Formats: sequence, C-alpha cells, structure tokens
Amino acid sequence: MKHGFREPWSIVAWFLAPALLGLALFRLAPIAIALVGGFTGTRLTGETVWVGLRNYRRLVEDPSFWNAVEVTLLYNLIVNPLQIVISFALALLVLRPTPLVPFFRAAYMAPMTVSLSLTSILWAILLEPTMGPVNGLLRSLGLPPQPFWRSEDQALATLIGVASWKGVGYWMVFLLAGLLLVPKELHEAAMIDGAGAAACFRWVTLPLMRRPLAFVLVADTAANFLLFAPVYLITQGGPNGATALLMFEAYQAAFTYLDKGRALAISSVILLVIGVLALLELRFLRERGG
Amino acid sequence: MSGSPARRFALATLRYAALVTVATLLLLPIYWLVTASFRPSADIFATSSDFGWATLIPERLTLAHWREAWSGELPRAVANSLFVALATVALGVVVNSLAGFAFAVFDFPFKRVLFAIVLATFMMPFESIVIPLYVLVRGMGLTDTFAALILPEVASGLVIFLFRQFFAAVPKELYEAARVDGASWLQIWWKLTLPLSGPTIATASLMLFVHQWDAFFWPLVAAPGPERVVVQVAVARNVTLEVANWGGLFASASTAILVALVPFLLLQRFYLRTVTAASER
Repeated sequence: MKHGFREPWSIVAWFLAPALLGLALFRLAPIAIALVGGFTGTRLTGETVWVGLRNYRRLVEDPSFWNAVEVTLLYNLIVNPLQIVISFALALLVLRPTPLVPFFRAAYMAPMTVSLSLTSILWAILLEPTMGPVNGLLRSLGLPPQPFWRSEDQALATLIGVASWKGVGYWMVFLLAGLLLVPKELHEAAMIDGAGAAACFRWVTLPLMRRPLAFVLVADTAANFLLFAPVYLITQGGPNGATALLMFEAYQAAFTYLDKGRALAISSVILLVIGVLALLELRFLRERGG
Repeated sequence: MSGSPARRFALATLRYAALVTVATLLLLPIYWLVTASFRPSADIFATSSDFGWATLIPERLTLAHWREAWSGELPRAVANSLFVALATVALGVVVNSLAGFAFAVFDFPFKRVLFAIVLATFMMPFESIVIPLYVLVRGMGLTDTFAALILPEVASGLVIFLFRQFFAAVPKELYEAARVDGASWLQIWWKLTLPLSGPTIATASLMLFVHQWDAFFWPLVAAPGPERVVVQVAVARNVTLEVANWGGLFASASTAILVALVPFLLLQRFYLRTVTAASER
C-alpha cells in the first residue's frame, strides 16, 4: 500500500520492537564485535588487549589465508552460476502443470529435508572410493573408480557437486515462482508475431525474470560463500588445502588455535567480501537490465 | 502450441525422461541411506561396492541399528532439537508477523531504512557471524543453554518480508472498518489478519522449523556439552569418532531426515504459493 496509517511511535514500537531488538542484538551487534575484535588479541593471562593491525598483518603474510581466499573465490565463481543455471533449467522443466508435475516439484524440493551436515555425511559415504555405491556403479559400467574427496584435483569439484545436489531444488522454488508470474498473454502475443520458443525465452521470459534471478544470485552466493559443514565433516580443508574455505579457516582459528583476534579478523574479511559481492551483483543485474 | 503431433510427442517424452532422471538423482541417495539403515552391517557395503539390484533392494532386514541408535544419546538429541525448533516457530511467527504487520500497515519515520536493514540481514548468511555471536553469547553467560540455541534464530529478515508482503495485500478498507468498530491494532493483527494468513504462517513455520532442525554449526559452537546436544551434532558424532559407527550413523541420519520430512510433506504445498505471492509485489 502507498500510504499506511500514521500512528504514534508508542503504538508502532509494540509491533517492531521484538523483531528489531532481536536483529540488532543477534545480527548487527556481532558485526560490530567482529570489526572491533579484529583489532584485539588475547594475552596468555586471558586479558584482551588492543593490537591494532597485527591480526590483519599476520593474515596478509600467511599463505594458508591466501590459499583459503583463493579456494573460496574459485569455489564461488563456479558454484553460484552453475546452481542458478541448473535451478533455472529445473524451474522451466516443471513449469507446465502436466500430469505428475506436482510430484516432481515436490521431489525436487525433497533434499531440503536433508540438512547440509547430513548431505555431507551421505555423500561422504556414497563417494567413498572403495566401498561406496557410486564407484560400485562406475565399476559395473566398466568405468574406472574415482578418488573424489581423497584427490587434490577432484575434492573441490566434488564439493561443488554435493552443494548443488542440496541447493538446486531450493533455488528452483524462487525461480519457478517468478516464471509462474510471467503473463501467458505475453507469450501468446509473441508467438502470434512469429517468435519461436527460443526468441520467446530470450525476449519475453528472461527480462521478466531479472528480479528473481537477482534475488537468487545474491542469496545463493550468501549461502555458498560460507559452506562449513562438508569441509568440517569430510575434508578438514584437505587434501593439501584444496577445500580450505574461509569459514573453516575462521573456525580453526577460533576453536583449534584459540586465537580469537585472528578468528574475528577473518570474520570481518568475510563480512566485507559478502557486502561487496552483494552490491556488485545487484549493480551488475541492474545494468544488464538497462 | 507449435509443431506436428509427432514432434510434440517426442518433446513430451524427452521432458518426462529429464524429469525422471533428475528425480532419480535427487531421491535415490536418500532412499539408499534410509534402506541401508535396515540392513545388517555386512550387507551395507558388500552390496554397494558391487552395484546391482541388491544395492537398491535389501534382501535381509534388521532393526538392530535403529535399536542401537535409539539407546544412545539420540532420543535426547531429537527431543532437544524438537523443543528448540518448535519454540523458535512459536516465537518466530509471533515476533516476525508483528514486525511484518508494522511495515505493511503503518507509516513511521525511518521506515525505509529499517526495512532495508531487515532485508540486508537475510542477505547476510548466519554463518558469517557465528564466531562473533559466540563471543557475545559467551559474554552473556548463555553457552550450553536453550536460550543460546533459540533466541538468535527467532527474528528472521526473510520471514518478516514474507509477512509484510502478505499483510500489504490486505485491502486497506478492511483495516479502516475494524478501526471504526473500535478494535485496537493488536486486536486487528491477532484476530483479523493472522487468521487470514494461514499459508504464510505455514511457510514461515516450515522455514523456521527446518532451519532449526538442520542447525549444525551454531549448536556445535554454542552448546558443545552433552546436555543440550542437538540432532545434527549427535548424528555427525558417529562420523567424527575414531572408528566410524556405520549402523548407528545410518539409523540416526535416517531419523533426522524422516522427522524433517513430516513438516515438509504437510506444508510444502503452501511453500511455492507463498513464495509466488511474495514475489508478485
């Protein structure tokens, strides 16, 4: 609605306060803690002291930090476009409500019921090199078995595949919702004007899908950027740093090395990168739309 | 549509072949995991490394793994997770619908800024603040409490957004009429609009429930003790032990999936509808 009801703060506050206080305390305050805490260190005696840029200087000099940045960027550069293309294809596949399609829509959402940590465990077993059923299938087809998680070359690709198995059905819902809102008359009009299916898609569907696509791109990046459970449960960052995503680095700093300052400095870097990425993606999609 | 009947038939066949292939890729792993939990240990990997019908259809069934899993910490973990998830749903529907109502119905200073902050919080992944949030929660003395598991997840930008979209679509005249009849805003929210918003409540509940039931990273950090163990952490513990406990792992993982399946099957039909309605405006 354009114009809402003007009520004094004393009334509006009743409605807003619980949620906004929750967000302020549990979402915004931690950001401040990360930004400030990144400049602090903990003495052996347990007291917290201001150390200026020391945590950041150490990060910059640390090759394992740069490896984590590289792996995280490479992972995101592949996984996000891939998931969006697949989930868009799935949304198109289940768009026309012919028989059994409601079943397929629900089936594609089913991995939503498998948490990310369970997904990790499930695929750690399925892709187990000697006993797992996927290599069993490959062997029965006469193909060579693969090392998957155990190989420096395949581990990141495996992670991308597994994250996508869990993710594509979820993002499909948002794109399907967008597709369902494309007016049928527009397609019919374009068809009458002699446009083929491909032209219809390019010039009618795609422009109208800009908003849902922008939403999914930003939200998907946010979800993937910080993948933690599979790295923690399966690879521990290995083999040889091949899957060392930034979130796992931050976790290790905080809970393995008990270096709170370093953990908060990495958290600050993560928050900064997410903010910049979201802005870039939104601008990119706005420009492409013209 | 276009094309000859033969071509149309070929396209439809191709489409259904693709539909079935994708469904198989997504469902078969879950099916295999659940059936494996009913197989004797010796059968699980003997049949999987030698792929064939026996990989998919168990020949011998046993409840041993389920009995074993349920005699350990799993019942406590399931109870803890159910309590956390249901408490989050109850609090979250109230808190977020109140805020969604305010953003949809009222005009107030800083409305646009506040709403932008709400949207920004749901674009920001929860994991990014897990470590500073842990610092905060530990400072408040809340580690290993239900409060630490529930409270941070109650207010949700996405759920506020969904409720706002729904309440904004209610005709303004309805609110005006209720005001003329002397209803307070809290009465209007509770008695008039909440009963109308069934599908949005269903979707919000599903989102909040699944989010809490699936939670792994935050409970791992915020409640490491055995008293407040949650289901995902309990399941994962079977893997991180020195010797993996396969039977217990399969049975407890199946439990976690099957419990999440109940609200999913009940509420998923509202899900697409609510997301569609929310993206319309």
